[in-house]
Amino acid sequence: MADERIDLPQGTLDLLILRTVALGPQHGWAISERIQRISSDVLRVQQGSLYPALHRLERRGWIKAKWGASENNRRAKYYDLTRSGRKQLEAEESAWRKLIAAVGQVLETA
Amino acid sequence: MLSDLLFRLRAFFRRKSMEAELDEELHAHVAYQVEKYIQSGLTREEAARRARLEFGGLDQMKEECRDSWGVTLIEALLRDVRYGLRQLRRNPGFTAVAVLTLALGIGGNVAVFSLLDTVLLRPLPYSHPDRLYMFFPVEAKSQRAMVASSYPNFQDWHEQSHAFQAMAAFHGESFNLTGATEPERLDGLSITPGLFALLGIPPLLGREFSSNDNPHVVLLTYELWHRRFGGDAGIIGKSIHLEGRTYTVLGVLPPHFHFPPDRWGSAPEVLVPVIPNPERGWNYLRVIGRLVPGVSEQQARTEMKGIAARLAQAYPNTNRDQGIALDQLSQAAVSDVRQTVWVLLGAVAFVLLIACTNVANLLLSQGATREHEIAIRTAVGATRSRIVRQLLTESLLLAGMGGALGVALAYWTLPLVASAVPQHTSFFTRVHDAGLELNSTVFIFTVLLSVLSCALFGLLPAWRTTKPARISGASLRTGRIRGALIALEVALSFVLLAGAGLMMESLVRLLEVDVGFRTERLLTMDVNLAGEKYSPAEKQAAFYGQVLQRLESLPSVLSVGAIVELPLTRSETRNSFEIPGPHPRQGLAGYHAVSPNYFHTLGIPLLSGRELLTADSARSPLVGVVNRSMAQKYWPDENPVGKTIIAVRIFVQSTAKGSSIQFKPQELEIVGVVGDVRQLGLDALPDPELFMPYTQWPSNEMALVLRTASEPFSLIPVVKKEIWRVDPDQPVTDIKTMDELVSTEAAGRRFVLQLIGVFASIAVVLAAVGIFGVASFWMHQRTHEIGIRMALGAGGRQIVWLVVRQNAKWILVGITAGVASALALTRLLAAYLYAVRPTDPLTFVAVSLLLLAEGLLAVHIPARRATKVDPLVALRYE
Repeated sequence: MADERIDLPQGTLDLLILRTVALGPQHGWAISERIQRISSDVLRVQQGSLYPALHRLERRGWIKAKWGASENNRRAKYYDLTRSGRKQLEAEESAWRKLIAAVGQVLETA
Repeated sequence: MLSDLLFRLRAFFRRKSMEAELDEELHAHVAYQVEKYIQSGLTREEAARRARLEFGGLDQMKEECRDSWGVTLIEALLRDVRYGLRQLRRNPGFTAVAVLTLALGIGGNVAVFSLLDTVLLRPLPYSHPDRLYMFFPVEAKSQRAMVASSYPNFQDWHEQSHAFQAMAAFHGESFNLTGATEPERLDGLSITPGLFALLGIPPLLGREFSSNDNPHVVLLTYELWHRRFGGDAGIIGKSIHLEGRTYTVLGVLPPHFHFPPDRWGSAPEVLVPVIPNPERGWNYLRVIGRLVPGVSEQQARTEMKGIAARLAQAYPNTNRDQGIALDQLSQAAVSDVRQTVWVLLGAVAFVLLIACTNVANLLLSQGATREHEIAIRTAVGATRSRIVRQLLTESLLLAGMGGALGVALAYWTLPLVASAVPQHTSFFTRVHDAGLELNSTVFIFTVLLSVLSCALFGLLPAWRTTKPARISGASLRTGRIRGALIALEVALSFVLLAGAGLMMESLVRLLEVDVGFRTERLLTMDVNLAGEKYSPAEKQAAFYGQVLQRLESLPSVLSVGAIVELPLTRSETRNSFEIPGPHPRQGLAGYHAVSPNYFHTLGIPLLSGRELLTADSARSPLVGVVNRSMAQKYWPDENPVGKTIIAVRIFVQSTAKGSSIQFKPQELEIVGVVGDVRQLGLDALPDPELFMPYTQWPSNEMALVLRTASEPFSLIPVVKKEIWRVDPDQPVTDIKTMDELVSTEAAGRRFVLQLIGVFASIAVVLAAVGIFGVASFWMHQRTHEIGIRMALGAGGRQIVWLVVRQNAKWILVGITAGVASALALTRLLAAYLYAVRPTDPLTFVAVSLLLLAEGLLAVHIPARRATKVDPLVALRYE
């Protein structure tokens, strides 16, 4: 099972975080869990890159952070998508899809 | 973009709380992971161990998070600043010299800029001053603009123009104010209704004139209201006495109101309605208008052109070939000094350039001594751009400190500048009205200037110092750069010195001008009679006759004279006259009514014929005396004494309805010729002047001149008392000595000379310091070489020659470049020069020699020191 895990290509982590946060406010651990779960454990987010990425996205103004109480009553920092973050997400999604399609096409025909 | 910046700033300034939050967030993550493992069946210890292992290096992650906060840039900058400050503290001598040098340069610029701000930038204190325009009738042929227009023309412009929402006219006048205290001569302004609405300045009390008011109403300035009437709140409706008549006070103007804002308007304190003169050829009104919002200046010009053309057709006698020029009030108000301000700013910019050159040289020397440090920093991995950034930060610190000290210097000098500003120029009016201050515009200028000078003096040294592989031959190259900088400094100083030298020579020559009479111990004063009270004109002559007689008899008065317009006051009445004969000729001369004793009092020599006598009275035949210029111009080969001319006599009748003017030709006999006098000003060559007895040509505005035996000012109270014995309501104004008049005449030039002189002195000192610094450094670098030369037997003289030769070359290059630049630039001073050409060779040679001597002296000191080098020590050096 460990063999099936792949490291994220450069730049895709931001897209995944934005997509995940788009579903509703989440804290850091939940974001990484969710990415892992939805990708059926294929994608694994390194904590070492998760938090710097979160803080960078926050600085860019695409997500905003707010402290709140989690399910088990622990104080946690929740990240939520901002309006400009949503625009960014749309742009990155379509760019990604185009990339996938193009790469796929090359692989099929070449 | 903005949110990004805010985030960075929050991260920077609220670092502690950001750190705490990061810590909490990361710990929460670990805690969640631990719980997850516990739920999957691990023991708490095992779960915690695995979670922590997975998580990896906490500190490294934190560091990466901090990087994403974007504070590293700010922190690096702060580190540079701290490091830079430490560097500057370590070299207090260098820092002090650099900061002081920059402070002189920046401070001078700040002071001159605040003058520019006051004179050219700050808006006039009226509502929307950019839409206020002055009108000038223009003679189409000569394109000569006149200041004044006539009442009918003003009315026609007003009625026919649509581009202007309002127009008003005014002219200056003076009034005798009498009443409870000492009689006073006041500057006043006659205005048409609506001037204040046009300016957008409502009166503080009461109201302004309307077209229904009778002519004997008056507005007072706030200052006069307080000075003469104690700020009486019930002043409106009360009466005051002007020119012996009763005027009703209609309103009081707000404090600090001043109009017109130019150099011609002195400081009007009473305002009365204009008395319309129906004659279209009688030009006495200045006209101002407010442009309709949205209408362009061009549209207004076109419209006025059309109006002028229509008037020229309708009234060819007076308006043929007359155009109308428009000029923004703010422009028209400072037209006399605009160029001067820029010249001064240019001159002081040179000082800053010299200062920057000096500091650049200092930094180059610094760079040489810091080679070691920079080598180490490069060795441990600092990039060149990193080191350049560090060096520039230090330069910026220097510039900042220099700027701050410069502002302090400017703050301290501004009152001096304000008090030196010459009267009768827009400098005086604007500085008097608006003051010189360090406002936000000036501060922004200072900051920009500091940054600019940092770039000027910091970039080159930073670039040179960090140049890789600068061991071989590089110091020779920096030697050349330093030399070029010295040459630049010398050239800039040359221009300033040449300017100051030319100005100084002009002033000296101006003050040496033979004015044609003896100026010492002459007391002058204006005694202007109220027109209506002293009518008919015989009463005027009678008054002056009595006053002259009384003053003659005062013990310390040697002699007394009277004249309509004093010499050196830049005003006189010029008129035409006719020389009758078979071929009558026309001439032009200044007309002066004088008392018989005038020539004797001033010490004007009689060249032929006789002086005017008391016997030349209103009932005796008309006579006159001409000056030498008039005699030479109109009777070049004969003696004018005994000749007859026909002079024009002007009668101005002012009544409540308006003033009318009549010209009447009258024959008079020339009885004498007197010496020339500088009538109009020190720099104005004598013109033909005609002097006539005041008894035959009475005037209500005469100035008295007293030659005193003792110090003139001590006589003022006695003189006033004697005049008041004749008429207790008679104001005595403008009491001055003739020496003061001479000095006022030179004031404009003196002001420019003072400023340029100060700049030139600073330049000379800075240049000397710069040359000295470079020569010392050169010597320091060559200690080894000098030691070898001495060991091989070179004498002290040879060593001195070596050092001098190295540096003199650049000084000579600088002088040559200076001559070339000065030849091009001193032309800008032409308006201030007198009897000196802008390229005066003597000045140029003197300045060259001065700079050469200064340079050699500055080089000589380190050169002398070089000869004291002990060869043994020198050889061990390095």
